[in-house]
Amino acid sequence: MTPDERRCVVTGLGVICAVGNNVEETWKSALNSVSGIHKTTSVDTNKCYADLAAEVKCDTLDEIDAPKEKDRVSKLCIKATKEALADAGLANFNDDQRVSVVIGSCVGGVLSIEQYHQHGRDVSEIAKMPIAAIASQVAETCEAGGIVTNVANACAAGTISIAVACDLIRAGKADVVIAGGADSFAAVPYSGFLSLHALDENGCSPFNRCNGITLGEGAGIVIVESYEHAQKRSAKQYCEILGSGVTSDANHITAPREDGVCLMEAISRAVKNSGIDKSDIGYVNAHGTGTGKNDNAEITAFKNFFGENNSNISVSSTKVLTGHCLGAAGAIEAVFSIKALTTDTVLPTFPYTKEQSAALKEKVGALDFVQNTARHKELKCVLSNNVAFGGTNAAIVFSKIPGEVAAQSAAGKKIAVTGLGIVSPLGNSKAAYLEAVKADKKPESPSVHSTIALEDYKELGVKMAFYRKLDNLGQLQTVSGMRALQDASFTVTDNNAKDIGIIVGTSEGGLGATYDFEELIAREGNSQGSAFKFPHTVYNAAGGYLSICSGIKGYGVTITTGPLSGLDSIGYSMNVIHDGQEKAMMATGTDENLPIITEFAQKLGVAANNVVAPYAENDGFVVGDGSVSIMLEEDSYAKSRGAKVYCYALGFGHGRKNVKFGKLAGSENALDKAIADALADAGITVSDIDAVCGFANGCKRIDDIEKGSLKRVFGEKLASMPLFEVKERTGEGRAGSAALAAAEAALLLSGELAGDKAYFVAANGSVASKKVDATGLKKILVISFAAGGSYSAVIFGK
Amino acid sequence: MDQAEVKSKLKAFFMSDLGVDGDVLQYDTELFGEEIGLDSVDSLEIISFVDSNFNVSMTGVGKEHFQSINTIAAYIEAHKA
Repeated sequence: MTPDERRCVVTGLGVICAVGNNVEETWKSALNSVSGIHKTTSVDTNKCYADLAAEVKCDTLDEIDAPKEKDRVSKLCIKATKEALADAGLANFNDDQRVSVVIGSCVGGVLSIEQYHQHGRDVSEIAKMPIAAIASQVAETCEAGGIVTNVANACAAGTISIAVACDLIRAGKADVVIAGGADSFAAVPYSGFLSLHALDENGCSPFNRCNGITLGEGAGIVIVESYEHAQKRSAKQYCEILGSGVTSDANHITAPREDGVCLMEAISRAVKNSGIDKSDIGYVNAHGTGTGKNDNAEITAFKNFFGENNSNISVSSTKVLTGHCLGAAGAIEAVFSIKALTTDTVLPTFPYTKEQSAALKEKVGALDFVQNTARHKELKCVLSNNVAFGGTNAAIVFSKIPGEVAAQSAAGKKIAVTGLGIVSPLGNSKAAYLEAVKADKKPESPSVHSTIALEDYKELGVKMAFYRKLDNLGQLQTVSGMRALQDASFTVTDNNAKDIGIIVGTSEGGLGATYDFEELIAREGNSQGSAFKFPHTVYNAAGGYLSICSGIKGYGVTITTGPLSGLDSIGYSMNVIHDGQEKAMMATGTDENLPIITEFAQKLGVAANNVVAPYAENDGFVVGDGSVSIMLEEDSYAKSRGAKVYCYALGFGHGRKNVKFGKLAGSENALDKAIADALADAGITVSDIDAVCGFANGCKRIDDIEKGSLKRVFGEKLASMPLFEVKERTGEGRAGSAALAAAEAALLLSGELAGDKAYFVAANGSVASKKVDATGLKKILVISFAAGGSYSAVIFGK
Repeated sequence: MDQAEVKSKLKAFFMSDLGVDGDVLQYDTELFGEEIGLDSVDSLEIISFVDSNFNVSMTGVGKEHFQSINTIAAYIEAHKA
């Protein structure tokens, strides 16, 4: 049986979707087979071949604190969160560091992007746009002070968020996690799916007509709690959450693999990680979008995994009720799955005529595809799976029994840094970065960006048939990721493709591409969206492209929290390896500087007018970008293939003090917490740290936070502590810079970088800089921040 | 619009909208082959481009007409109003 300290239980549920504004209403609609699909009232359908959607009808969404500061997606999410917290008997957490928020989303604040573009470019819309705003604003609402992050794996994001929540609890990083997903219906996804001819003009009909999807909107929230924490407060427990599986197709940016093998691998991992037998599963809440490609791939995967003569498995898609809610889908379906499990009910896909039922039987064999009406069935375990653009597959098991969860099986193993890929405004390789440090290069203007050249693809052997599809973010990520593999001498083969995964960290992800798409459809109409450009609007497209280019088929997640996402990708990758889920992980930080990104920074008053250096006490910073990929491997795995080791990843820590999303002031002390947390994770003390790779960028408000915290943490020692500040050369590249700071630490520890210019903060607060020799540096602390009051710290050591 | 103009417009579209390198794209180059690697998503874009620029619908048209710039141009020529 799973030991108590690794058991995760569900103690609260919340939902809002087209068939109900709470769990009770929604469940009633599900039992009565009521569809929420109607003619849309919120987007322009002129010249569009399909005009249906499953929209939320709720006039109390604004009954929250500061509604004007929040996009509809955050409002939906907060509404579901409040219900779930009340259900769990929980309320305000007073910045409790043991309470986390993990929210999945696909299009985030896309309505605010539309508003900004079409109605006066109002600065107040900017902070509402990124996906990162959602979890931060949920945390702010209930003062959750733990890890606050968003999973941006498009249509699988909701499921992965719940999986990540369990991973955090099992790694001892949280006691309670508010997990789920949210997305709102908007012109961008509507036009995008129209351009792909993926909407069914008659409403989706999963596993039946399979003619396309119908978009929905909403939010689902599951309160995931450690069993011990729930027991201690005598909380009501719905069920256990057992294992999960996340894999990548490495095949196509929008279409799932026809053979469904990587989806089957995700399901297989979920069952294996749960420590149950597949015969324990009685119901599968399928992704079942209604497209032929998805539904057939799923049927193939179910037949191959469960056996086509297996009549014990009931399967259905609940998307006829809710529409396809994208990043919220997995979360809303988790609520359906948990209700199904705890009330011993299997939900139907509907409507089916007699003829259609007969045709379905031909397709699915003995598998029990539940049709038209819900019915009673004794259930022990329920599986929910979702697939997404970018080739992501995710599956998770909800259960009445504790199972035998295989988490943290490799917790004691050392993690080696074995490869670096660096793309920055200084050039697109590690060699170019080392050269730029040597030459003491600085940004050439207050807005700089990376440029991928044909030479880069040639050197990496990437063919035109592939790279022609990439948007700018995808180019940066593909080149840095392929460079990291090359640097690590890691050849992806059929044998090891599933042993390696990718976590992309990004601050704005596909925000620029989404803005680009919004410009196109505002000009040409919703019927004129681009099927070529639409996939780039999802934040995980960049990671998906890297997976396709490299052939990496293991874990594949994109997280977005702000600049610190470039460090969190390292922290979460360490957890994936410690969990025994993968032997190797590519952790990345990637952000781009398109003209619209610089425009946002200027409007927000954080873009400097001239080139400024860290600690320049300016009002703004140089806007930059970059993508840095870092290969992490279980030490024995790295050694067995003769890999060179730069250094070891020793610890990861996090701290948060809730302030409004878009702000940092008032959260300063949370950086101290993040550093203390990372030191504890590494099992070392402040005196063991020899240097810091920081996040100072020249903007006084940001730099003072770093300076103040380091002073409190290191005391007198700070005066002799070298602070390496990579933004001096690349500008503020958000997640790209955070990962670059980690790469700088690895280069210094390995000796590849013999030294670099460092800053020193004197006791009186004055700052001076001088060149520092890297010899003698044994342990380096790397730190970063995110708007809303989150901070992360990673420690690398020799 | 004569055939040469149609072909040149198509080529410009492949380069600007589908990221194809002009150096390797001749009028008879196989579009869905290994080198250019167009796929189903790209064909949606081609259909949309041909529809709005030449007023010719290629929805549901057989694969053979999408083989190269030459075959697309020939289809447009044969079906233009």
